[in-house]
Order: sequence, then C-alpha cells, then structure tokens
Amino acid sequence: MHYGMVIDLKRCVGCQACTIACKAENGTPPGVMYTKVLDQVSGEFPNVRKQFVPVLCNHCVNAPCQRVCPTGATYKREDGLVLVDHDKCMGCRACYVACPYNNRIFLKRGKLKSGYHGKVFTPYEAVKYKEHQDGIVEKCKFCSHRVDQGLKPACVQTCPADARIFGDLDDPESKVSRLIRSRGGVQPLSEDSTEPSVYYLS
Amino acid sequence: MSRIMPLVGNEYVLGFRKQLEWSGLIASAFFFGKIGAGLFMMSVYTESRLGMLIGLTIVLGGKGGAHMLFLGKPWRFWRGMSQPGTSWVSRGLWAMTFMTVFGGAALILPAGSTLFMPLAIIAAFFAFIVAVYDGFLLTSSNAIPIWNTALMPVMCMFYAFLGGTTLTLFLTHFGIIPPSIIEPVLSTVETILLAVNLAIVFLYLITCINSGGARKKSFELLVKGPYAVAFFSLAIGLGLIFTLVMTVISGSHAGPGVVAMVTVADLIGHYLIFFLFLRAGVFKPVFGLLKI
Amino acid sequence: MKQSEMVAQKDYWAKSACKMCIHSCAIVAHVVDGVVVKIEGDPDNPSNRGKLCPKGHAGIMRLYDPHRVKTPLKRTNPIKGAGVDPMWVPISWEEALSTTAEKLKKIREEDPRKLLVAINDFHRIHIWGWGSAFGSPHYFSTVGQYCGAAYHPINGTLDGSFAAVNDYDHCKYWIQIGAGDGFSSHLHVAASIKRMADARVERGMKLVVVEPRMSSGAAKADEWLPIRPGTDRAFVLGMVYTLLYELNIYDAGFMRKHTNGIYLVAPDGNLFRNSESQKPMVWDSVAKAAREYDAEGMNLQDVALEGVYKIDGVEYRPAFQVIKDSLKDHTPERMSEICSIPADTIRRIAKEFGEAACIGSTIMLGGKEYPYRPAAVNFYRGAIGHFDGGLDSLAMKLINLVIGNIDVPGGHIGVGLDHRLLIINAGKDGMLHPEPHLLHPPYEFNEKPYSFQLMEWYPIGIDPGHLTAENVLNPEKWGFDFQPEALIIEHSNPMWNLSATNKVVDVFKKLKFIVAIDIVLNESTDWADIVLPDLSYLESHLLVCIEPPMVTGHVYRRPVIEPLYDGRDATDILTDLADRIGFLPNWNGLLNFTTFLTPENYLDPNTKYSNLEITDRMAKSIYGPDKGLEWFQEHGHTTRLQTPEEMYLPFAQKGLRIPIYFNFIKETGDDLAQKMKAAGRDWDTSSYLPVPIWRDHHPLHNMPPEYDLYAFAFKECQTNFSESTTIPWIDEAISCMPIHLGVMINSKTAQKKGIKTGDILKLESPFGEVTGRASLCEEVHPECLALSNGMSRWSQHPVGKRQVTTHFNKLLPGDVKWTDGMTGHLETSTKVKISIISE
Repeated sequence: MHYGMVIDLKRCVGCQACTIACKAENGTPPGVMYTKVLDQVSGEFPNVRKQFVPVLCNHCVNAPCQRVCPTGATYKREDGLVLVDHDKCMGCRACYVACPYNNRIFLKRGKLKSGYHGKVFTPYEAVKYKEHQDGIVEKCKFCSHRVDQGLKPACVQTCPADARIFGDLDDPESKVSRLIRSRGGVQPLSEDSTEPSVYYLS
Repeated sequence: MSRIMPLVGNEYVLGFRKQLEWSGLIASAFFFGKIGAGLFMMSVYTESRLGMLIGLTIVLGGKGGAHMLFLGKPWRFWRGMSQPGTSWVSRGLWAMTFMTVFGGAALILPAGSTLFMPLAIIAAFFAFIVAVYDGFLLTSSNAIPIWNTALMPVMCMFYAFLGGTTLTLFLTHFGIIPPSIIEPVLSTVETILLAVNLAIVFLYLITCINSGGARKKSFELLVKGPYAVAFFSLAIGLGLIFTLVMTVISGSHAGPGVVAMVTVADLIGHYLIFFLFLRAGVFKPVFGLLKI
Repeated sequence: MKQSEMVAQKDYWAKSACKMCIHSCAIVAHVVDGVVVKIEGDPDNPSNRGKLCPKGHAGIMRLYDPHRVKTPLKRTNPIKGAGVDPMWVPISWEEALSTTAEKLKKIREEDPRKLLVAINDFHRIHIWGWGSAFGSPHYFSTVGQYCGAAYHPINGTLDGSFAAVNDYDHCKYWIQIGAGDGFSSHLHVAASIKRMADARVERGMKLVVVEPRMSSGAAKADEWLPIRPGTDRAFVLGMVYTLLYELNIYDAGFMRKHTNGIYLVAPDGNLFRNSESQKPMVWDSVAKAAREYDAEGMNLQDVALEGVYKIDGVEYRPAFQVIKDSLKDHTPERMSEICSIPADTIRRIAKEFGEAACIGSTIMLGGKEYPYRPAAVNFYRGAIGHFDGGLDSLAMKLINLVIGNIDVPGGHIGVGLDHRLLIINAGKDGMLHPEPHLLHPPYEFNEKPYSFQLMEWYPIGIDPGHLTAENVLNPEKWGFDFQPEALIIEHSNPMWNLSATNKVVDVFKKLKFIVAIDIVLNESTDWADIVLPDLSYLESHLLVCIEPPMVTGHVYRRPVIEPLYDGRDATDILTDLADRIGFLPNWNGLLNFTTFLTPENYLDPNTKYSNLEITDRMAKSIYGPDKGLEWFQEHGHTTRLQTPEEMYLPFAQKGLRIPIYFNFIKETGDDLAQKMKAAGRDWDTSSYLPVPIWRDHHPLHNMPPEYDLYAFAFKECQTNFSESTTIPWIDEAISCMPIHLGVMINSKTAQKKGIKTGDILKLESPFGEVTGRASLCEEVHPECLALSNGMSRWSQHPVGKRQVTTHFNKLLPGDVKWTDGMTGHLETSTKVKISIISE
C-alpha cells in the first residue's frame, strides 16, 4: 500500500474549495494552510495562459524532511504517509528548510492563543485548536485520520472539479496508477530525487 | 514569451519563495558556535585553559542559548539527539555535547595532568565538528540552492578559524590569556585567513553568478536586492576588506585600538554574512524547470 | 430523525441545505458535542454529489461569527454614518417588536408607501412580498441587478424558464459569454464545476470564453476572446450574420416546427393575422397562399421561412426573413469594430459553432428521439448587465435559436426557479405563454408612478431597485408626491449593493426609522434603529432548491444544532410584525401563494402560523399529505435528476412554439409607448424590439473621451454572494489571491500611463470616484480596469476590510438614462479616467 494523489491540472478551476475544506477539516489556525491553490500566469495579452496549481505535502518516498528531522518526530508510515508526531517535534525547523516544496509550516509560540477573531475563540476553534500545538512544525497529513477510517482526504472529498484523486500507487489498477500511466503524471521537482507521492497531470 | 517567475510572499502564486524561519537566532547560534569553537581549538593549540573555557562558554551559552531561544519547544531539545544517523542537527548536538564533556573534563583536571592534552585534543576534534557541521547542515538542503554548495562547510571552517584567531589575538593583546604564540605569528595567520575567506566568499559569489533559478534569486537578493548594502558594506567591506587592510597595514605593531576595531569589525562581518546567507535562502518554485 | 432526537446525539451528521450563496446545495454537517466541526456536500444529493465550494465550507465561521446579532438591539447613538458606532444596547423581543410595529403601523395608516423595503433573502423568496402585503410597492435593493433584470425575463419569455445553461452532459462546443457557469458562480456552482470538468476533460468539449477579464473559466478554456465590455451582443450578432449570410447554417427544421420563425410579419413589424380568427398566418409555398399557422393538411416542410410575399398589395415576410433582413448590415467587420474581436475570429468561431451543432442529427434518450445540437452559447450577467441588456439577452438566445438548440440535448437548456421546472403554459398564437415575471406579478401601469423603482413602467423587467434613490431624492422628476420615512431590511445590503452609492447614503440619511433582520450587520444595517436577530441557515427550517440545473425537488434546510442565540426565524418575525401592524390576513394570503399551498392547506387569514407550520404545509401541498416535514426529517431531500421529458423540449410536448421573433416584446413596448404618450410622458421604448440588433447610441460607448478606460466589477468562486467576504477563512484566502488585491490593469496600459503595481490610483467616472491599489496583470483587456468585490467592504464588521476600500458601485449611475428600457437592467460597466495619487 502506498497512498498517493493525482492532481489533474486540466480539471482544477482554482476555486480554493480544497483550501477551505482543509482548513475546516483540520481546524488550522490563521495563516496555516496545509494546502492551497497557486496560480501561474504566463504570456502577454492576449496570448495569456493561466494555470491553477494545487500544492500540498508531497509525502515523498525519499522525504528530506524526515531525513533531517533530529527528533524522529517526522516519520513515514508503511502506507506512504509522512507524518509529524506533534509530541516529539522540538520546533527546530530543519524540515522547513529541507522541504523543497515549502510545504511545512511552523506554528510560532503563542500562535494558538488567538484565532480568527483575536482572543475570542469560536466554539469551533475552541475544539479544533486543541488538535494543534504551538512551537512545532505541522503540515498536510493526507488527512490520515480520515484515511484510517476509509475516507478520502477532505480536499479530495470536496474538490468540485474532481481534480484531486487519491489512491494506492502500488496497485497498478488503481485510478491514480491508471491516470499516471495514461496521462503521463509528473512529480514536482523530480530532479531533487524526493520521489513525491503526488503526481500532476497537465 | 513567458514572464520571469516572480519572487512571491504569501500570495497564492507559483514562484520563488524566501525561507522565513531560519533567521537571526540561527545566525547567532552559527556565529557563536564558530567563534567559540574556533577560540577553543586555538586555545587547545596554545594550551590556554582560560581561552578554552571562554570558547566553551561561548559555545554553550551563546550557541546553546540561541538554540534554546529559537526552538519552538526548547525543553524537548534532548529529543534532537535521537537521529544522528541522518540529521546534521542531531550530529551537531552530539558534537556540542562531546565537546562539552571532554573539554569540561580537561578543564577540571589539575594543572599538569597528563590526561589534559588528550582530553583537550578530543574536545578540539568535536569543536571542529561544531564549527563546520552547520555548513553540512546547510549544504544538505536541496531545497534552498544557495545553501546547497560544497563551499558552505569550507567557508564555515575558515570562518571558525578566523573567528578563533581574531578572538585569540584580542584576548592575548589585552593580556587575558598568556601569549604562548607570539603575536606576529598570530597576526600573519589572521591576515592569511582573512585573505582566504575573502577568496572563498568571492568564489562562492562567482558560482552564483552563473547559476540560474533559486540560487540566482538568492544571489540577486544579496548583491542587488534589499540585502546588498549590508552585504557589501558590512559583511564584506567591514568584515573582510577593512580588517584585511588594517591587519596588513598595522602588522604586529597594532595598538589596542586597532586590535579592538579589527576584532569588532571581524565579528560583525562574520555574524552578518551568515545572517544574510540565511535570509537570502530562496526555495525553488514547486515545479522547478517543469513546463506545465 | 426527529429534530429533538437528532440534536440529542453526541456525534452526528445532519443533512441540511447550504446558504452561502443563492443556490442551496445539499450539505451534511458534522456535529460533535453540540459543535459543528465540519460541513461537507451531501453525497446522496444528485446535484452537488458531495461537492461543496469554498464558501460552503466556510459556513461554520459564519455560524460561529462572534459578531452575530445575538439579541434584539436598539441603537443609542442618534448619529449615523460610515464608521460611526451605533452604540447598540440589547433589548427584549417584546420591546423590539412593539417599537417596530408601532412605528410601522403609524406609517401604514398614513400611507404605506412611506415604507421602503429591502427584503431580498435569496432562499426565502416567499417573504419577498411582505412589503406588498403591507402596502408598499418599493424595492430598495438592487434586486434585478444581482443577476439579471435583462436575463430572467428573457428566459421566461423564451421558454418559461428562470435561468438557463448549456447541457453539461451532451454539449461539445460551449461558448461562454460573461458567465461563471461551471467555474465560479451560478446554478449550484460546486455541482456545475464537476459537470463542466467532466465535459471538458472526459468528453473533450471545446470551450470558448468571451469576456474582458480572464476569469477562471477563461483560464480553463480552449480559447479566451477578450472583448470590450457591453459589446457581447455585437460579437454574437456578427456570428449570426456569418451563419445566415455566409455559411447558410441554420436549423430550418427546428424553426418550422418549434418557433414562430414561419409566422408572417407585416411591414409594421406586427404579426400578419387572419382578420377573423386573429390567428397568425404563414406562407404555404405549395399552395402559394397565406394560411393560418395551424391550418390542417399543411406540410410544415412547405411553409416558407424566407422570402417576401405580396398579399393584397402589402409585402409580408416570414419572421425568420425579418430577422435576417434586420441583421443584413451586421457584418463581422462592423461588429469587430464595436467589440474589438477580429472579424476573422468572429467568422471562425461562427463556423466552428455552426459545424459543431450537427444540424439534422438526433439522439435517443430514455427511449425517445430528440434533436441533437451539441453546441451552445451560455451567458449571464456579464453579457446582459447593460443598457440594452434586453437586446443583449435576445441576441444570446437568437444565436442558439438559429442552430435549433433550445431545450434539446447538447444545447441551451432552461432551468426553473425551483422544483417547478419550467412554467409551460399555453399562450396565444400557438405559442408558449411568456413568463417574464417569475418573482412577483407585474405591476399595474399607472400614469403617475407609485413605486420608487418605477416597476410599473418596466412591464417586462425585474425591479430596477437602483432607481429608488434617484427618485426619492428627486421626487418632482416623475411626480412622486410622497417621501419615504422608514426602511425594513431583511438579509439585504442596499447601501452596498446598489449603484450610485452616495445617493443611497443620502436616502438613508432621510429615513427616520430603520429596522433590520439579519444574522450579522453590514454597511446598511449599521444604520438601523432596531435590529432583530434572525436564525442562521444552520439553525432554521426551510424547503429550498434554487435553480438546480438537471435536478428537481427540494432540499430540506434544517437546524443542525439548536439555535445559538436568542434569534427567531425571519418568517416568524415578519409574521409577528404583520400581526402587530394589522395586516395578517394579507400576509397569510400572500404566503398561500408564495409557498405553493394547495387549498386544503391554506392558512386561516387571522391565525398566526409559525415558519415550521408553514413549511410543513408547503411540503404537504407539493408532495402530498404524507410528506410533511416529518417525512423530510426522516428522508432528507426530494431532489432527483430530471427525466429527459422534463429537460428536453417541454414546450413541444404541449404542442407549443417558442419565439425566435419576439413579437411579445414589441407588442409590450408598443402598448407602453401608447400609454406613456397618452399620459404625456416622454419615455423611451425604442429598445422593445422583436429582433436584437446593435444600436450605436449605447451610452456606455459614447462617454466623453477623457473617460478612457472601461471599468467593471467581478467576483470569483470565493467571493460570490459577497457576504462571504466578511468570513475570515474566505478573507484570508482572497487576501492572498492577486486578482482580489487591487484594481487589475493591463500591464501595457499601465506602462503607457506610468503606473506600477502598488500605486494608489484615483478612478473617476462621471458619477463618482474611488481609490484603488494598482495591480498590473496580463489577464485584462487593455481598455479595461477590473475590480474585485473582495476589496469593497467598509461596515463595522471587522473582517474583510482592506487598506484601500475600492467599492465599484460608487462609480455607477442609478438613473433611467443608464437603465435598459426593456428590462430595467442597469448599465453595470462604466468608463473612468485614472490618476496616480501616490506611488
């Protein structure tokens, strides 16, 4: 079993539903986005091209963040998920500078003292911020808590364009494997030999 | 046709992004680690116990303190020792620990103990690792190309030697540690190290000129962007050229004013150059060279 | 599950309906220990199929917004204005309601027209008429300009629909003009994005997007055609010209069978009728005679679509010939000069479109054979929100009619306002009955106007609420002899949503009493004297399903948790007020109609009914006595996919034709012209045309030359239904998206004017000025500035404000001169001059 995600750039319309669904699912504090959709405009008017590029932790097979982690807080599960044990992380941010995708987020000390409305927490935030710690590094978990229940990650579940597909990269017949084969999926920064578990179709 | 990829902040735009986490405190830790370890090594060579003690104190207090201030969860620092197999941070922590243990043991010994020198040399070996491991730490990051160069550990090593020499010179000059090496030799070493460092920094910049992508962006930040003034005037001008000129002119006859000035200038330059290297760290765009 | 049982659980998923935009996607809310921790799309719903847009997910933060109105409030600061603290104090419901009722009762007794009404809760359309039950005819909110005063009436006139969209499942060549369908807005966007993505990626549908700014839709399109704002009709008419005059591509079969294209038209533009039966006549080319359109034994193939026929010395032409003749000078070259799209491109797109239409081919669906026209033009507010917007709309319909794709597989499909699907009633002349008024019945004409929005003079339009301020401030112009004294606002924001903002503010200053019903306060309700807290959508009951393409039925909005605060359902508040003021019978009578009650469920005129009871009766009226709210609490929704019979050619099943020649519009205009003439009024009815043509006197394109750049506002998926811009999650995301960060200006244009990104600009139109931060880009037509609504807020609500507030509506006019004569749609683009205030 090797979980991975295929992101179909032809489908993505840049609506940011994934960005907000991820926020709602994980209850991340202000400024912390496990995933988001970047855009890229190229060309000059009227020959303009605009591409929407969702980014998230790539759950690399050869994960630099795991290699540089001095505490062992970052670990790799057998199903390919790269996760951070919040209780072990000491907040040195070696992983932050080692992740070529800039997908790791450090929660400053005191970060969880205020939420989206300052010191007043909404009931939702009061519940969800307990799932976080300040002074440590967090990142996309491929919604491991959902995956463990047999659900898809929140961003995949909601994506209105079905631009995100989640599945088993080890299974040659899974939808992700078939899409990677048939449409020529590419890994971001493959030149860095990180072997991301996220593939893009263009 | 395609526009040059922009350097972006928190906008949702594909582009180069600056690393924003390793900054002043990490630069301080690197700085204190290098000058402390440098002084420690020089003091072992000069057999100055006081110098060793000062060096060790700088490493523990300065570097260790900066690290503790920097860590998000400082009291979990001990967890950082668990992965020396892959993590340079772990290795650095171990090196600091061994340096402290062996150095401390040597210093506790009564004067004239035969164990002193072996212990001190072992401690100096770990001090050497403390001085250069951050170079390997930076080099090992593929993510930030301007750090990802073999020159980084070399530069760290020479800056540590330079820092150690400068401090030894200073402490000797002001009579804090006894002059076991005569000052002319020291100031010659200082001159050579300054010249070598200047050459390495120059070489480092040359490799950046002909690079592309994120390294080039970092380079531009250093030489053209917001950091250029500090980089040229303080990190290089004050830290290397001014000091070099002063050292060459005054030679071994430098008065206390000059020595103090050179020391301060060297330390400012030393701190700033690594601070600016950190601040200029730029990630590649997530798609790198890939056309999407 | 019963409400009480459901909320008693510790951990549950509750089915409900989203209300972060108008379109009511089905949702499931995850509640743990009484706290809503997640909202997802309901996977069982055939419309959105588990999908949800960003706003839908952000609903949690609206529910738990600490700035919600928690109790009734009374203003203690008599001074009102932007940035002025109203100094609210909580009061009891009794005090709030009795104070309000007392004020409004007095007004009602004096002259109910002294009450302005801004009740525009999109899901609770059944309460929109509260004002009319009170006796006030006014709409002091933008109403028709949100979406399309020039859009909905034309849909209703064409085929009894409220909205329309191309057939996601079968279309293969989709031209999208000024619309966000399938990308950013309209008709259940999360559902539509999925359908559009499937069509684009799985079926290889070609997509051409025509608009001045590269929206997310244009970004995904095979081709983006940047166009000058307000000239989309010219582009389309150039295409029609190419099809009719150069390529000879049109669906004669469809026109003969399903439209009035064969009806003979007299030289005065009216239908040629049998003098006795008054039936329209057609030309039988075999019999070489004019015959009644439904004459027995006549072969439709023989009926002329083209030609000129002399009868008793008068020349008559089939309607299609009239259309063709009306467009004979609409060459791609001429249209190109107007719209800025090259003539060759217009020709090429017309050819691709015409060829993709597969005229003559058919498809079997559900065991029945239908015409198959997999090419269609889809359009929305961007294309029609203009002076002459009615003609814009007609042109968009015409290009579809020409290839015979209306309500056929692959083509342009009507969408009902709700579960009622399309309203297909027989009209006169063998035609479908035109339904321009789906929101409320038309206003009776009167020589002297009685509604500030002049609805009585726009017999086809949707309330031009933007005229209200102008008429309140200048009552003598049309002869209003009363002035407003009070305003009731329910989930609306007239000060922000209306054009000519400064005039609207002046109206607010005149008002002696303002009562607001809402869950959070906004630019308008910051001015209220009394605020009555509503329940949020996650705390209230409603049966709703607004404009679902391909789907019919109702989604049951139910409280997913117990109400958080001392709020009451807006329907209950309005019922209570109606009772206290003394018009409960009128109100109940209106509810009978607006909640579709059947006679056995009618409300007793003098009894107060709760929203829950009304909703229960509504459910039973529509779905039968055993399907009241209890059934919905058990089963959730009644939504299902439409059958092919419901979706395709619904008018043909009833033997009715649809117009290609819009004589209904001409007749309405002629009638109005006559009445206005008799009233001695100078009123322009020249846009009531049966055939869309380009009219050069368009005021937008004839502004003084110093106003050298077009300016328009836009929204994207994150910011539609702009209430969402005060939700911190949305605010956070859009404040990272360059399109929402400043006035978008083409980099070349900016270069010529010496403007750099970040410069603070002053934008001046003849009607107002705003400041804005320049944002250079490539994604905008060089003649245009594009302004996101994401930087337009200034209310007391702390979320969503920007360092520089750029509120586009301040640049727009709000008077009759800039209003489409046919439909009452405001010209929603303007032209501006810009200068740099600071760098």
